[in-house]
Amino acid sequence: MGPSEIDFSERDGLPVVHWKLFADLRERAGAETVAVGDPRTVGEALDVLLAEHDALRERVLDADGDVVADVNVLKNGANVFDAGDGLDEPVGEGDELALFPPVSGG
Amino acid sequence: MQVVSVVGASNSGKTTVVEALAERLAERGRVGTVKHLTHAPDVDTDGKDTARHRAAGASETYGLVDDGDWFATGADATLADVLDRLAPRHDYVVVEGYSGSTLPKIALGDRDVADPVLERADSPDALDVDAVVDAIDALEPHHTLSSLVADVESSPRADRAGAIATFTGRVRAKDDPEDVETTHLEFEKYDGVADQRMAAIREALEGREGVLDVRLHHRTGVVDAGEDIVFVVVLAGHRREAFRAVEDGIDRLKDEVPLFKKEVTVDDEFWRHDRP
Repeated sequence: MGPSEIDFSERDGLPVVHWKLFADLRERAGAETVAVGDPRTVGEALDVLLAEHDALRERVLDADGDVVADVNVLKNGANVFDAGDGLDEPVGEGDELALFPPVSGG
Repeated sequence: MQVVSVVGASNSGKTTVVEALAERLAERGRVGTVKHLTHAPDVDTDGKDTARHRAAGASETYGLVDDGDWFATGADATLADVLDRLAPRHDYVVVEGYSGSTLPKIALGDRDVADPVLERADSPDALDVDAVVDAIDALEPHHTLSSLVADVESSPRADRAGAIATFTGRVRAKDDPEDVETTHLEFEKYDGVADQRMAAIREALEGREGVLDVRLHHRTGVVDAGEDIVFVVVLAGHRREAFRAVEDGIDRLKDEVPLFKKEVTVDDEFWRHDRP
């Protein structure tokens, strides 16, 4: 098991957003939560996250660098592709981002 | 129902803490307590009528007086059985002992106890009871089908209800007799977002004509084969809208709520979404 939290927000005082990771995506990253410093968009925050986690990048992006269909990207509980501007969706201090596979409750 | 256990070595002050919590929690709701015993109960000693009932083969025996006071003894109950029995009529249960259980714990002294530990203190005096009560209220509640049914039965709209319909999802050991046996499932939940989405589904169903009250509950963590996972309970005027709301409720929950299931069989483990 890896650490439960990894902090990439290197410089103090910059806006920080947090990724929450679930199921096999959490296992691939070896972390439940990853902090990212000063991204302007969901896409930038995703780039920082995936740059540090090869196994996660293989799972999340296809050969063209697009997010695969069975990975959900959320900002503050809403899917950014359904309810926002996709990876261009702006992010700021305190926003919570999430990556998860198809849901499988019940 | 919120459940907590108080654990620690003997003479560490467990009973004092149970008393303090029971007193405080009783101001907020009905409180049950359970005590782990290392010896057989001596409430119905040899020769008493109730002891003779048991000796003759009764599996449970109640001693009941006219003002409603009672005691009971019986055989073959587990802690899980007792919690399930208490759930329909209690808001809180405080368990004394069972340091190896998976229940959230208040630990006294430095004895090793199984996770999760809610609060640890050297002595009863060192515990902040207000903080502990707040932490107990924030725990995942223990629900059963019976407790959720009891909940909607006491709805302020129950006088218009002619139907209660329910769905229970449980852990299936096998799909087919030839299948490798599933021993348990492990559920992970996106806290907060899952609760918001369940609340939205409940609100949508309760907005329907004839639907009076709805409960949705999904367990998390390890759920063993044969155990219940998820419940949908609908109180409605008539059976049609009750059945429809139950079906739509469980379908929406499975589609929309961020819960993730790892399946563990006797020889493998895998995320369920990887094997649709």
